[in-house]
Amino acid sequence: MTPAATEPHVYADLDVLRQTWSSKPGLFGWLSSINHQEIGRRYILTAFIFLLLGGFEALLMRLQLAKPENTFLSAGRYNQVFTLHGTTMMFLFAVPVMEGMGIYLVPLMVGTRNVAFPRLNAFGYWMYLAGGLFLYGCAFFNMVPDAGWFSYPPLSGPQFSPGKGVDAWAQMITFTEISALCVAVELVVTILRMRAPGMSLNRIPMFCWSMLVQSFMIIFAMPAVMIASTVFLLNDRTLGTHFVNPAEGGNPLLYQHVFWFFGHPEVYIIFLPALGMVSSILETHTRRQIFGYPALVLSLVGNGLIAFGLWVHHMFATGLPQIGEAYFTATSMMIAITSGVQIFCWLATLWSGRLRVTTAVHFVFGFIFIFVMGGMTGVMLASIPLDLQAHDTFFVVAHFHYVLIGGALFPLFGGFHYWFPKFTGRMIDERLGRLSFWLLFVGFNATFFPMHWLGMLGMTRRVYTYVPGLGWDRANMAATIGAFIILLGGLIFIANALRSRGSGARAENDPWEGSTLEWEAGSPPAPYNFPNLPVVTSRTALWTPVAERSIVVGLREDRREILISNVLDAEPHHRSVQPRPSLWPLLTAFGFSIGLAGSIFAFFWYYVASVLGMIGLIGWFWPNRPLEVDP
Amino acid sequence: MSERRTLDVSGLPPYEISNQAPLFWGQVLMCLIEGTLLCMLIATYFYLRLGIDVWPGPGVHPPGLTLSSWALIPLVASCVGSYLASEAAKKDSRSGMLLGMGLNLSLAVIFLVLRALDWNSLNFTWASDAHGSIVWTILFLHSYDIVADILMTAVLIVIVASGRYGPRQRIGVHVDSVLWYFLVGIWIPLYGVVYWAPRLIGASR
Repeated sequence: MTPAATEPHVYADLDVLRQTWSSKPGLFGWLSSINHQEIGRRYILTAFIFLLLGGFEALLMRLQLAKPENTFLSAGRYNQVFTLHGTTMMFLFAVPVMEGMGIYLVPLMVGTRNVAFPRLNAFGYWMYLAGGLFLYGCAFFNMVPDAGWFSYPPLSGPQFSPGKGVDAWAQMITFTEISALCVAVELVVTILRMRAPGMSLNRIPMFCWSMLVQSFMIIFAMPAVMIASTVFLLNDRTLGTHFVNPAEGGNPLLYQHVFWFFGHPEVYIIFLPALGMVSSILETHTRRQIFGYPALVLSLVGNGLIAFGLWVHHMFATGLPQIGEAYFTATSMMIAITSGVQIFCWLATLWSGRLRVTTAVHFVFGFIFIFVMGGMTGVMLASIPLDLQAHDTFFVVAHFHYVLIGGALFPLFGGFHYWFPKFTGRMIDERLGRLSFWLLFVGFNATFFPMHWLGMLGMTRRVYTYVPGLGWDRANMAATIGAFIILLGGLIFIANALRSRGSGARAENDPWEGSTLEWEAGSPPAPYNFPNLPVVTSRTALWTPVAERSIVVGLREDRREILISNVLDAEPHHRSVQPRPSLWPLLTAFGFSIGLAGSIFAFFWYYVASVLGMIGLIGWFWPNRPLEVDP
Repeated sequence: MSERRTLDVSGLPPYEISNQAPLFWGQVLMCLIEGTLLCMLIATYFYLRLGIDVWPGPGVHPPGLTLSSWALIPLVASCVGSYLASEAAKKDSRSGMLLGMGLNLSLAVIFLVLRALDWNSLNFTWASDAHGSIVWTILFLHSYDIVADILMTAVLIVIVASGRYGPRQRIGVHVDSVLWYFLVGIWIPLYGVVYWAPRLIGASR
């Protein structure tokens, strides 16, 4: 379908559109909202609260390790704190915050009005929230997991971890994975079927590509962790199955295989959206098309595929056959190729563009510096002899914090500064932004760089204290001081965000002269995102002169109508009417949550979850009037 | 707003009951998730098998072939009902949908009864040994899915029979059929693993 020439037409009636797409007012409206902006904001805000909790736990650990033979935390408490720290950061912060960014930005970037399944989106958020509350709720009743964020049996088994802490951990996974899977499904369908007309596959913004690959990774990886945590661990603990019990034919290594089949892709699930953010920030701030778009896309897809062939490098010390280990060394080194291609593409973009240095760009530079260092220790650890020496030492702790904080958190903070005007309608203060960047950057390196040394000097992970005279004292003290510098940087970041949200300068729709469609929507966007859906004619949609761009007319405004386009070329295919806000996603999540929470005590509660969940789903899908969809 | 070039989409159909509907795509992705889960269980089965000399252990009978094999007939045949229902949904034929879903439901229930009888004849439980754990898990999860889809079909029958339905519910009938094809299709390899694997690779290594 080609755009008609300029002719008499009807532009959107904004009052009707607003009324159609707004959530209901008041508390009921808040609870029943299915708007992707609201849900995305809730994900991001909730995840940041968990980041604070996880960060607080990190500080407790650093205080304990600041000097030898410290008695600030007991051994048992220390185990609980590092378990909560890892679990919170991986399951309750890192994945959900990336999902939140995706839920907020993807519909805007592909030029549509909401995600594909808005009620599923709301349901996913409530499940995530319930999972977080469940874990920390259990902690208040002294049911604290203490077997590490990956809870290896036999340590986490019934014999060595009595009590309900590990059970709570295992079922919390189910909550958060259900949530992640919901988001993955709706983002895949949003990106593949709801793009603005003309946004063919080779014009999809890099961030959307990264969310697409990430979503497919979630679909293939997350079921594995539910099997490991629920089927193997929880059932062995509560029902007496024997999956990981060697006495009855089970095998603890089975747990490790299945856990890491999820756990390694998990790292890329966190990291790929961050790569998309870096590409977005750089394209806008260098004011040129991102260099090597096809190479970048293929690298993302390559990362996604290779990620599923690496998991055994977490298990080099378990005595697996050498031929298998050699294979996994090779694939682990291969990931450096796809990551390297992206780094070089960004360098070329920087080289040939006209760079405007903002806080967001600072964070991108921080990312490149830290991530490259983490990547290099990663290549080192892929080598089996070195891995056997460094296994379970602080060298590994240093490595994965360089990769995760450098690779995911710095781009996330960059992205947060970049899209802040879109989220809030206000500009974020640049001066405070840069100050927080420098504090975070210096604090990060002061904390984690010494850990490389500590690891090489033989300090193992998860020890709650150490004796003096091993040469570990100074590096540990430096790391603790660094942790407090990070805290200071974090507090300034929060203060800046709160202050700018209240009294920052008003933001235009497009303060950075960005290339992608979200900058055409209002700041913050109206509930319908775009008055008229845009038509895309180039990869950098907004850099095409307005006169050459068309808009979509003919979508009904008095009901939640969206445009479904085909996968390859985004030709308009049909219209589709989305459901209205509903309380049922919340009620369904509530029913499931009660059952899942009870299930750590008795199997019977799974039936409660099923019955309540089924009632919720029937209410959810029960026909609402009007039943007919007239043309 | 100044004059802009426009693309008029008012001529496009306001809904689509086919594999082009977003809900179909969502259902396929959900099947992919469930399929990944069940495939991981197949991998688990063989991984556990590798670690044990005799599979299943001494005194444990392999799951019986008779009932489980007969049960495949109503299961596969029930797909005809699903097909009729989804074609009727596309043509908006209320009687066709009811006939198709009714056929699907009856055959599915027959399958479920045979499954229950077969399950009841096992001489081991989930707590007997690793073989028991994985076999019970596969049977439980697949049966859980089957029961959930049967209930969903029953609800759709009530909705369609009441006449209170529109295009959204017809899309629901279509994707319900898609889910059923998946559950039938995935059972074929699972059936092979649960019932044939102990006979083919069960002896001591």
